[in-house]
Amino acid sequence: MSARTEHPQRDVFFVSNSVNELGGVTSWSHQMARLFTEQGHRVHVIGITEPAEPQDIGTDLPYPTTTLYDEHPPRVGPARGIKGRLNIAERRLRAARTAGMHEQAAKLTALFRRARPGAVVIVTQVWAMEWVTLADTAGLTVIGMSHESYAYTRASSRYGRVRRFYKDVDRMLALTREDADLWIRKGGMDNASYLPNPLPFMPEVPSPRTGKVVTSIGRLHDQKGIDMLLDTWAEVAPLHPDWTLRIYGSGEDEEMLKAQCTALGLDGSVEWMGRTGDVPGALRGGSVFVQSSRGEGFPLALMEAMAAAVPCAAFDCAPGVHEIVHDGEDGLLAGLGNTGELARKLDLLMSDKELRDKMGELARQNVQRYTTGEIVRRWEELFAFLDR
Amino acid sequence: MGLIADRERDPDVSVVVIVYNDEARLRAAVRSVLDQTLRGVEVVIVDDCSTDGSYEVAQWLAAENPGRVRAFQLPENSGGCGEPRNVGIGHTRGRYVMFLDSDDVLERNACRNLLEAAERDGSDIVSGLCVRLHLDRRNQKRVEWYPWLYARTQVLDSVTELPDLFVWDTLSTNKMYRRGFLMENQLRFLKGMFYEDLMFIAEAYLAAERITLIPNQVYFWHVYEKAAAKSISNRRHEMTNFVHRMEIHRRIDALLAERGLTELKLAKDVKFLKHDLVLHLRDLPFRDDSYRQEFAGIARDYLTSLAPEAYDEVQSIQAVCAYLLRENDWDNLLPAVDTLTNRDKISAPLVERDGHVYWCAEHLDDPFGRHVLDVTDLGHHTRTVDRMFLRNTLTGYAERGGTAHGGTTRGGTGRGGTGRGGTGRGGTGRGGTVRLAGRIVNPLGVIPEGARLTGHLEFRARRRSLQSFRFPVAVLRHEGDSVSWEAEADLAGKLRPLGIVDEVWDVRLKLDVDGVRTTTRLTASEHDLAEGLLPVRPRLTRMVADHVEPVVSQRGHLAFRLVARDRVEDKERVRELVVRGIHGRPGKLAKSGFQRAKKLRKKLTSGETKIRVYGEVFSRLPVKKGLVVFESQLGKQYSDSPKAIYEEMLRQGLRFEAVWSYAGSPEGFPAEATLVRRWSLPYLRALAQAEFWIDNQSYPLKLTKRPETTYIQTWHGSALKRMGFDEAAWKLKSKARQQEQQRVLNRFDRFLIRSEHDVRTLAKAFRLQERTLLRVGYPRNDALVHAREREAAAGRRARGPLAAELGIPEDKQVLLYAPTFRKHGGRNQRFELPFDVERFAAELGDRYVLLVRAHYLNHVVLPPSVRGTVIDVSARHDVNPLMELSDALITDYSSVMFDYALLDRPLLFFAYDYEEYAHEGRGTYFDLLERAPGPVVRTEDELYGALDSLAEDDAKYQPERERFVAEFGEYDKGTAARSIVEQFFSHWSRS
Repeated sequence: MSARTEHPQRDVFFVSNSVNELGGVTSWSHQMARLFTEQGHRVHVIGITEPAEPQDIGTDLPYPTTTLYDEHPPRVGPARGIKGRLNIAERRLRAARTAGMHEQAAKLTALFRRARPGAVVIVTQVWAMEWVTLADTAGLTVIGMSHESYAYTRASSRYGRVRRFYKDVDRMLALTREDADLWIRKGGMDNASYLPNPLPFMPEVPSPRTGKVVTSIGRLHDQKGIDMLLDTWAEVAPLHPDWTLRIYGSGEDEEMLKAQCTALGLDGSVEWMGRTGDVPGALRGGSVFVQSSRGEGFPLALMEAMAAAVPCAAFDCAPGVHEIVHDGEDGLLAGLGNTGELARKLDLLMSDKELRDKMGELARQNVQRYTTGEIVRRWEELFAFLDR
Repeated sequence: MGLIADRERDPDVSVVVIVYNDEARLRAAVRSVLDQTLRGVEVVIVDDCSTDGSYEVAQWLAAENPGRVRAFQLPENSGGCGEPRNVGIGHTRGRYVMFLDSDDVLERNACRNLLEAAERDGSDIVSGLCVRLHLDRRNQKRVEWYPWLYARTQVLDSVTELPDLFVWDTLSTNKMYRRGFLMENQLRFLKGMFYEDLMFIAEAYLAAERITLIPNQVYFWHVYEKAAAKSISNRRHEMTNFVHRMEIHRRIDALLAERGLTELKLAKDVKFLKHDLVLHLRDLPFRDDSYRQEFAGIARDYLTSLAPEAYDEVQSIQAVCAYLLRENDWDNLLPAVDTLTNRDKISAPLVERDGHVYWCAEHLDDPFGRHVLDVTDLGHHTRTVDRMFLRNTLTGYAERGGTAHGGTTRGGTGRGGTGRGGTGRGGTGRGGTVRLAGRIVNPLGVIPEGARLTGHLEFRARRRSLQSFRFPVAVLRHEGDSVSWEAEADLAGKLRPLGIVDEVWDVRLKLDVDGVRTTTRLTASEHDLAEGLLPVRPRLTRMVADHVEPVVSQRGHLAFRLVARDRVEDKERVRELVVRGIHGRPGKLAKSGFQRAKKLRKKLTSGETKIRVYGEVFSRLPVKKGLVVFESQLGKQYSDSPKAIYEEMLRQGLRFEAVWSYAGSPEGFPAEATLVRRWSLPYLRALAQAEFWIDNQSYPLKLTKRPETTYIQTWHGSALKRMGFDEAAWKLKSKARQQEQQRVLNRFDRFLIRSEHDVRTLAKAFRLQERTLLRVGYPRNDALVHAREREAAAGRRARGPLAAELGIPEDKQVLLYAPTFRKHGGRNQRFELPFDVERFAAELGDRYVLLVRAHYLNHVVLPPSVRGTVIDVSARHDVNPLMELSDALITDYSSVMFDYALLDRPLLFFAYDYEEYAHEGRGTYFDLLERAPGPVVRTEDELYGALDSLAEDDAKYQPERERFVAEFGEYDKGTAARSIVEQFFSHWSRS
């Protein structure tokens, strides 16, 4: 990286729920950890506890990792009402948890103390922030991140915790300006700003866009809305009997979704591909990419498809989606949950090879604004700005 | 390393803090700057030659924070905010400049957020949200300053892109300016004038080449309402104030004219009418004549410079006031100002001319006046007297034995009386009785001559009223445009306040017009009240107060306030003790007890409790054989298929117990049935014990149906729009919510179907089991099928009694216009008709009568000019008789089309917003444009064209209607109600 010498070298800590839990945040933190290491920063990736479902992060990491707990900290909710306050077992558990938290936070404090001036703590998930709050971060810049859209957080229990634990961090980062604006106005987070995620990879060979295949990649989970994709496909398939929908991914809803597929009479045109380790290959096999999620943050899948020059049709489920896809230019968006509209958009792309080529090429070009070099530059700028 | 900001280099931001005699708060203001998350900030304090210790505090702060705080003082007091800020600008060193007043504070991240945006966008000005905090209110009310401007980040290359910013956010303090920008454009504040911000910010906005708005809170404006020295904005009643305001407006207008910015000028004119003028107008009733004349002289001159188009952009009452002021018509202006203050009040007699309603009879020969004074749209002519809030002016006020007061001094009792008043005043009415007289306006003769009039005055405490007192109105005289009245109130004898908790007593006059009641308030702002005290005997204690005095509320209404007269000092002391008690521990205990009781009551009457009572109490009672609960459109109507089934059951003489649910008023519901209000306990009990539920939409979602109860869901129309699980909103619900929804739908034991289209759409969308589907057609449509059969048999169309009731002449054809529900109704769900009804009346009124039926959740206002030609039939419960009466239907996408087609009469589709409806909304099941069994028109002109050739086109569309009926109404054979009764109730005994 050419920028290496222009920036002061810092100690950068990533603090997440786990070092290696399955999911986008893990992939993101290790990608950024590598990039920062390449910049000459001293990186340390910290997890609070072991994950429920691990992800392979490799063994040749160029930076140290630490997991605080040996076993998962006790799970206990807040005391509610008189009954809750009188429950002795719960009280003990809660006390044990609090004591344990202080003990682990002390480990964090020790790590932070060793850092040089100008060090940065990046907390990727709000649960991890509960420990960072207890640690001594004097002299360090603390950045708290929310890796999903405002609306999706709003509907979950994380909303209250983000507002509470990120209230006094030096910068709270959302993924898009629109999300940050919502955090500011509706969430009352005046320290909010935003930074997008980087593109994970740039495939050498784009898709030829010749196969009559529509690709979907995502866990078979309610959030990814595969049920709505099937409803959509039921409207499109009769118009294009020679096309196939390939659904990559596995998950808890598999059985239910396959039953729905059969009930809709789509078994002839839908292929269940299972989980794939070769995303670029899967993308190269298709001519159109479809995403039917109920909620997203800054979806990597869309960026990957665009990088592979595959035009996307997607539900506009989050600011991150219309930030990545310029509707009508390098992809097509439909109102969230409006399967009829998504079907019309798919139909447009499937019927018109020229449109696919135009949008696909433009997509590959446009998505370059999220290359790693560009995103790293923005992080360095942020670090410098927060020093002022 | 360069990591730690170089303290020696120039700061990023300089904050100019101005202070005048505010030593106590200066420190907090400066602290809020020094505590910024951005470290590179400096403070420049400029003291406007204070007479207290402000400058010493400033110097001390400077000494304590060397390099970060500097203090300066003007040689003599400048009397405003402008000059100190100008001096401050001169001393700044930062790349960016902000202004802060000594009694306010910055948000902690303000400088960092503003700076980030300024550097990112290269902006000359960055502006953030200002929040007014009312610190002396117990709940610390916060009011956001024009929050809609700050809903999201916006970058403007010119202020002309966002005129609202230019006209509304005229503060200089919630902003960061590039210092170079201030210098290059020589931007400075005016000296020695109020509203210096207005001019400064207007010039700055116009000069800026880039402006960024950020949604962050940046500035907390502390408001102290009770402060002794009122700030400028609180003293707006002062004439100089107004003179300054007008002068600034003139100068800004000149700036705009110089640059040819007519659009900004118009936006500014609109704001002037909506805001600036209103602020001053509201004070007029409380001012004397010489003030009014002087005010009018200054204002009139400026008003003539406003663009006439501006009048169309404001509320009609605002335009009316501006116009009347311009015309110097005080007789009409003062009542109009009453409406300006009391929004829903009708304060003028109004006149009807040529089918339009005007504010007053004067000025109608002036075309512009006629235009502005036309208030038809307010719909006053469609209102009954009980729905009107009439102006009631006090014309006489006297204490018995004393003389009527017409004095010239008004003293401290005006304007809600912030002073405690009452001390040492004479003129106590010995008898304690007041004589009141007044005049109630009678708009459009809504109170008819010869009407039976009775009334009484009601005294009620403003807060926590536990009791009210009434005094009869002895005299009521109809005088054409108004009703005059006289009453006597023996306050000493009859008014018994508790004391302490009920300090202020409001007075209302309740007038009964032929038994219909309307409530008025007594407008006393223009009348001089006696400044006397009347003895009263508070029930709790006379330690605090023993008299009442008349006061005028901020809205201009008469009220009475409890005061002390005898041994005032003692009472002050007692009062202080009492107040201390209220705010202290005993008070808190009492209050929290009160609040807990309130919470408990709320909980007991909440929906949740009712559902529990339904589930745990009512559902344990035995199901009553023969108990049927009917509901239509969530209880809003007595109509549709539930009504048709009910009437068929009556016709067959079945013995059963009928319960009808109603929401709102029971009027129009069958008197012989048991009527229960929706969500009331009797309603829930009836549902729990019913053998049958018959409804066309849904009973409360959370009520579980007992297995012994049979739910016949008749539904209310075939679907064009996607429904149920075919709608995006339903698909997006989580699995758990979807299952919950499905449980609600699974309550249906029977679901009526009128064609296989329903099976493909509704039944699928609700995921209903095949066995629940009842393919019998809609009972409500039986009548339509019969009407068609009758017509075919007789060879002619017979009009029922409804035609006479609506006053429709024999020789006119009847059109029914029934559009579907539209959300963008604004306030009160007002539905703007998509065509000009007056044009309809003019062009087609000789041949047609148009019945307008808005969706039951919308409403329309028709001008009097179309009376007899265009009739609003929205309030009628049942649309069926209207369909039978009409000779053709105009609709857009309402499901009424599916039913009307059964009559085999012309249908016309006025689909002016089809694309928006079909695509941007939730989508449709089929393309209406392809399958419509009648002409589809897109514009008003096309509509008239189609109406012209309605008869000729009819034959052409006959086969299409046939097909339409076959597809969407194949089971509607006119026997639906009968077959339902046969299937479910035939075994019941008959009388």
